Parts: sequence; C-alpha cells; structure tokens
Amino acid sequence: MISLTSYAFVSMTLFTIGVMGVVSRRNVFVIYMSIELMLNGVNLFLVTFARHHLNLDGQIITIMVIAIAAAEAAIFLSVIILLFRSKKSLDTDMFTALKDKESK
Amino acid sequence: MIDIVFLALSFFAIGGALAMLLNHNPMYSALGLLICVLSIAGLFALLSATFLFMVQLIVYAGAIMTLVIFLLMFLNINEEDMPEEPNKHKYMILAAIVMIPFNLVIIKAVSNLPGSDLSIVSEGFGGIKDVGMHLYTDWLLSFELISILLLVALIGTVVLAKKKKSRGAK
Amino acid sequence: MESGLIIWIILAPLLGALLNGGLYFYHITQRAIPQRLFSIIGTLSPILGFIFTLILFLDMKETGNTYSQDLFTWLEVGNLHISMKLLADNLSIFMTMFVTFVGSLIHIYAIGYMHKDPGFGKFFAYFNLFLASMLILVLADNPIVLFIGWEGVGVCSYLLIKFYYGKAENVTAANKAFIVNRVGDLGFLLGVVTLFFAVGEGDMSFSSLEANIGNVSPELLVLSGVLLFVGAMGKSAQIPLFTWLPDAMAGPTPISALIHAATMVTAGIYMVARFHFLYEGVEGVGLYIAYVGAASALFAAIIACKQQDIKKILAYSTMSQLGYMFIGVGLGYYSSGLFHVFTHAFFKAMLFMGAGGIIIAVHHHQNIFKIAQERVNLPIISGTFLIGVIAISGIPPFSGFFSKDAILAAAFAEGEYLIWIIGMFTAFLTAFYMFRLYFILFWAPNKKVGNPYVYTSKTITIPLAILALGAFGAGFLNLPTVLWGEHLVDTWLLQLNSKVLHMSHLTEWILMILSVGVASAGIYVSYKKYANFDVFKPESEEGLIANKFYVDEFYDKTLVKPIQKLSVFIDKVVDTKIIDGFIMGTCNKFVEFGKIVGTLQTANVRFYAAFMLVGMSCIFIYLYISLGL
Repeated sequence: MISLTSYAFVSMTLFTIGVMGVVSRRNVFVIYMSIELMLNGVNLFLVTFARHHLNLDGQIITIMVIAIAAAEAAIFLSVIILLFRSKKSLDTDMFTALKDKESK
Repeated sequence: MIDIVFLALSFFAIGGALAMLLNHNPMYSALGLLICVLSIAGLFALLSATFLFMVQLIVYAGAIMTLVIFLLMFLNINEEDMPEEPNKHKYMILAAIVMIPFNLVIIKAVSNLPGSDLSIVSEGFGGIKDVGMHLYTDWLLSFELISILLLVALIGTVVLAKKKKSRGAK
Repeated sequence: MESGLIIWIILAPLLGALLNGGLYFYHITQRAIPQRLFSIIGTLSPILGFIFTLILFLDMKETGNTYSQDLFTWLEVGNLHISMKLLADNLSIFMTMFVTFVGSLIHIYAIGYMHKDPGFGKFFAYFNLFLASMLILVLADNPIVLFIGWEGVGVCSYLLIKFYYGKAENVTAANKAFIVNRVGDLGFLLGVVTLFFAVGEGDMSFSSLEANIGNVSPELLVLSGVLLFVGAMGKSAQIPLFTWLPDAMAGPTPISALIHAATMVTAGIYMVARFHFLYEGVEGVGLYIAYVGAASALFAAIIACKQQDIKKILAYSTMSQLGYMFIGVGLGYYSSGLFHVFTHAFFKAMLFMGAGGIIIAVHHHQNIFKIAQERVNLPIISGTFLIGVIAISGIPPFSGFFSKDAILAAAFAEGEYLIWIIGMFTAFLTAFYMFRLYFILFWAPNKKVGNPYVYTSKTITIPLAILALGAFGAGFLNLPTVLWGEHLVDTWLLQLNSKVLHMSHLTEWILMILSVGVASAGIYVSYKKYANFDVFKPESEEGLIANKFYVDEFYDKTLVKPIQKLSVFIDKVVDTKIIDGFIMGTCNKFVEFGKIVGTLQTANVRFYAAFMLVGMSCIFIYLYISLGL
C-alpha cells in the first residue's frame, strides 16, 4: 500500500527537517548539510512523480539538480575555508559586517 | 515485501536527517547525512530509477559527503571554535510549526491525485540507456550548460581557496 | 482718429532713460563718460517730447480732432478686452503740454544742480523714466494703462527720493512714500475692479465707460467713486495719506520741483477729472472730496506757519494748494481745478528751483534761520522767488489769483459757505507763511558784514526766469468774463462738463476784492512780524503745530507698531514653529520611520532565511484557506 502520498510524506519530512536546520543551527557546516538535505528531499519528490507519470523528465531534472549540488558543494566549502581563516570561528552570527550601522 | 523495504529505507532516511539536525558535533551530523543519502539512493532504486541510484551513490555519497568529511578533518576544529547554541530546540519547534501549512497544502494536493501503481518497472524506464537517449536528445542544451557550470565551479574553487601569500609579499 | 505721433511723446523720454541707464552702467564699470553726454541725452528727450506735444496741440487746435493710438491688444479673456491704447484728447494734451514744458525746464536746471554728484547719469535715467511714466498716465485711454503710469511714477518717486542713499533716513523716507502710496493704489485698483464688474460691457476704455455708466447702480457708483478717490488721496497727499510728502523732501531739489510740485501729485486731480462722468452722478462723493480738500488745505497751512526747513515749508504749501484743487474738482468745477493745477505747476516749480539755488549757494543748509545768517546776495533768485510768493498768495495780476479765485467763487456759488470760509482763511495763512519765508530769507537784517555775491550758473537762472514769466502770465489764459477775458482754458476743457459759474457780476467783484483783501492782510501781518526779525534768535521748535500735530507719531503707534508686531509674530511663531515644524516634522518622522525599518537589516543570514520562511508560510496559509482544501 505504498502510494504517492507516502512518498510525498517522506519527501516533505526531509525538506522540513532541512528547513529547521537552516533556521535554527548556527554552525556553518550544519547549515550546509541542511541545504543538501532539502535538495535531496526535492529530488525524491521529482523521481516519484517521474515514476507516477512514466515520464523520464523528472529523472533528468534530478540529474541536473545533483550536478548543481556538486558544484555548489565545492564553492560553499571553499568559502567556509576562507571564513574560518579570517574569523577563526564557525558561527554564522559572527559574520554581520553588512548590517545597517546607524540603527544598530 | 516491497512495503517493508520502503518502510525500512524511509526510517533510515528520516533518522539520519534527525541525527544530522540534532547533533552538536558536526562530524556526527555528517555521518547522519551520509546514512540519509544512502537510504535515498535505495528509495530511488525502489522507484525504478536505477541510473539515478548509481549516480546518487557515486556523486552524493561518494564525492560530496567525502568532501565534507575531509574538510571537517582538515580544518582541525576544536570545541572552542564551535558556536554555542543555547536556543536551538526552541527555534526548531518554531520552524516546524511555521512549516505546517506548507506541508498540509502539498500533501492535501498530492492525496487528491488519482492513485497509481508504483511497482518496479523492469524494462524501458530508468535504465541507463533510456536516460541517456532522453538526455542527449531532448535535454542536450541543459546538459551542455551543466557541464560549463561545473567548469566554472572548478575554476572558482581553485581561485577562492588559493593562499594569498605571494600577493602579500609584493 | 488714429495718430502715430502719440507714442513718440512717451518714447522720447523713455528711450532717453534707457540710453542713459545703459551708458551709466558702462560709465561705472568700464570707462568714464563725460557728464556732457548724459546731460545732452537727458535734456533732449523731454524737449523732444514737448515738441511732439506742441505739434499735436497745434493740430488739435486747428482741426478740433481727438487722436488715439491703439498699440496692441494686451488682455483678451472672455468678454474682457483690454488694449494698450493711448488717447490724446483736449484734457490729455492740456496736461501733457505743461508737464513736458515744466519738465524740460527742470531737466535743464538739474544739469547745474547735480553737477558735482557722481551718480549724474543715474539721476537723469531715473528722471526721464519718471517723465515717461507720467506721460503714460496722462495719455492713457483706459484705467489699466493709467494704472501702469500711476505705479510707474510711484516707483520713480521712490528711486529718486532715495537718491542720496548713503544716509539711512533718506531710504526710510523713500520707503514711507512708496508704502503710503501703495495704500492709495489699493483703493484705486479696488475702484477700477468695482467699475469693471458694475459696468459689465464694453472694453474698459474711458469713452466706453462713459457711455455705459448708466448701467451701474447708485450704491456701486458711490463705492467706486470713494475707492478711486482713496487712490487720489495717496498720490496727491491729502488727509489721511499725506505723511509722506514732507519726508519726500529728502530727495534732491529738482525732483521735489518736478515730482512733488508739478506732476506726480497732480495725478490724483487728473484722475478725478478723467472720471468726471462717474462723479457727476454722485454729488455726495464730490462734496466729500471737496471737504477733504478743504481740511487738508487748512491743516497744511497751519503746520507750514511754524516749519523751519525751507523745503518742508514748500512741501506743506503744495499739500495746501492740492487741497484747493480738490475743492475745485470735488464741487464739479473740473476746469477750474485743472486751471489751478496749471498755474500751480509754474510757480511751485519755480519756488522749489529757487530754494535749490539758495541751498547750493549757502553750502547745503536748509534751515531758514541758518540760511538767513549767511546772507548771500542772489539777485535773480530772490527776484523770481518774490514773483512766486506773490503768485501763490493770490495777488492780481499774477496767475495764482485767477485760479484760486475761480475755485473760491465756485465754492461760494454752490452754497458751500463753510468751504468758502476755510478757503479764505487758508488764503490768509498762505500769504502769511509764504511771506514769512521770503522776509526771513531775504529781508531780515543780519549782522554779518559785507555782501558777498555768489555766482549762480545760467542753467539755474534761465529756467527760473522762464517760469517766472509763466507764473506771471499763465493767469491770463483763463480770465473770467467778468474781467473781460475769454475763458480759454475752460473752453478747451469743455468735454468735462464742468459746471459754469452762475453769479451776478457784482457778487464776483465783491468776492474778488475780499480775497485780495484777505491776502494783503496776511502779507501785512507777516511783514509786521518778520520784516525785522532777528535771525540769530530762531523760533522755538516746541509746541503742537511745530511738531506737525504729532500725526506721524500717531500713525506710528496705531498702525506701524502693531503691523510690525504682527510681522514678527508671523515670522517667529507661524512660519518657524507651525509651518516649518509641520513640514520638517513630517520629514523627520519619515526619516525616523526609515531608521526603525532599517533595524531589520541585521546581516544575519539565518534571520533573513527565517523571515523568508515566515513569509512563505503566510502565503501557504492563505492558499490553504482560499483553495478550500
């Protein structure tokens, strides 16, 4: 009795957990991994519907998403290295140089 | 039979995700994510997406997670470099509550669709030949653009992570 | 009939003014230009104007035509059609003749008077501009063009009074003249507007107003008549708008001679005569005008008896004579009033010019006792001064007698005995104070030894001599029939429907002898008091009369100070606190609001993501509710 709804449920759960991670954790790595989790959830959803409609477009898009996630991983992690070098901390709340200085 | 496999795989996926979310040590979070990714690969196989199952294993589990774990070890993180997060549980529950309408809408919409059979298809769908044919005929432009994107990301990473010592000496 | 010459009467002095002005700019910024050039341009322009006027006058005398010239259409809005139109009918040409003639003579006089002043070119530019404005006023064909000239003479009067702007009180006097005139101008403008609404049709020229005046209801006629007279009050220095005239003596003497004796101050009387068709319909307003004139005449004469500044005495005497003119036009005897304008121009201008000559000769003293202490011998000036004083006192056969007597006879004939008595008493006072002036300046013995003779230049003496001839002879132009004369001026100004004197010859003779007697009595009293006056003990400056009845102080306390307080209040409270506070306050509130909104920009990435999440959630709540899932 696995149906569309159960796959959707799993995929939404993964997405939600990803969002919770971005919003509430301060550690830069955990934020990155939550973003990847969100992408995975969406991938699952896409593949489910590809199977549902027997249309390969969903799978192709999923391949694209995975490729993009790989590129993003490379850049993201280089930036983490740069940030760690300059501030010696993994706390995202420390990087507030662009804030509105007048109103504090 | 398939139901049990599905249940087990989804259990591991959600469990791994939760482990990633709740752990303080990023190394444990990375391992949690690894389990999650592997389970999702299995779910892809259940959905007759055999090529994607391979791709997920090679790229996600094999490259991306390896990269993350490698970086964690490379940066030599001590306990004092990591942030304290006193209120994380409160924010998590708040985020969950805020996400409820979104989930409700999607699930309601999906459940209103006519039911379908999600059994495994043996031939002609999801295999590497079928995906390859579709990719190189209908999605050729996107394929080329993705390859350029990967090239750009490669160059960008090299530029960003280079040590700037030689410029400083000048 | 159309004539292209009229505009040139105005353009001659106007172009002279512009040319002199431009040359003066050149003179002060680049290279100096000799004074001779300025004086040639400055005097040639009014003389040209006089020549053109003479041509037109002779033609009109021959053919009896009236000329007009339509320059261009100025305003055309709905059924209001105002054009810049000039009119040369008998009245305009009469005024233009003596304005240009006396004006040219005073311009020649000014060459000598202003010889040492560095602003020579500027003076002549302003002077010509004044003459051009006065000519626009007199030659206008509708009240709007008249108002252009009216304002123009006010401005030029201001510019010329403050000519010696180094001293602050001169500028204050000029401001006072302009502002008091402005009050009058407001009345004039309101009168014209009332007329416009009341008449309702036609194109607002004097002829069409005259034709359509029957449309106006009596109340509106009275209203417009009174309002127009307010303008005349300001311009011609009658009570209550007279305080500017004595202070205007701060300007150079030529302008006192031209503006405040012969031309600008007579604009009010000209205007009342121009609107004769209006005043004919409302006799009550005319009577009111006559009473105001009589009161001003008496008031000014009383004050003049105690003044010690030579020019101020002449200023008050001008105000007094203007009162006489208003008696004339107020009672409906327009030609008599205008005849007095004509003769007054001659002898008053001459008196002022003589005073100017004296002032230069004694190195710019203006107090009569100080002048008398100096004792210089000025034969021509003292001779012409005597002629002027006799003329103004009303002794025959000098001109002042005929014009003043015509007005007084008119008052008697109309049954206005109060005005006649006031006029007689003022004539007594006029003779008294004018001869007081003459005796103290030229007759009283003083102890200074020797009689140094001072040379006065020809440019001063020749105009004085010409005007003296006019002061003597002008009266013969309007001899009444009782004296076997021909009424020349009255016939020329027949268009004005002036009332004709209906009196028996016997009464006229008796009145004439009475006025001569009154004037002689004034001279006799003055002689007794002042012919042997000791000029080294001058009269005191105390007392009500010597302080001009404290009118200036009264105005200051009741009008000027409250308005100043109001101005300060509006500036400090209304402008700064209320208006500025409101506008700047709104600005500041916006800026503060912006700052509050700016606190959202915390540069914390998770905060931004959370905010996006909340927004997305709201959208989905809305979707859930609206899709009815």
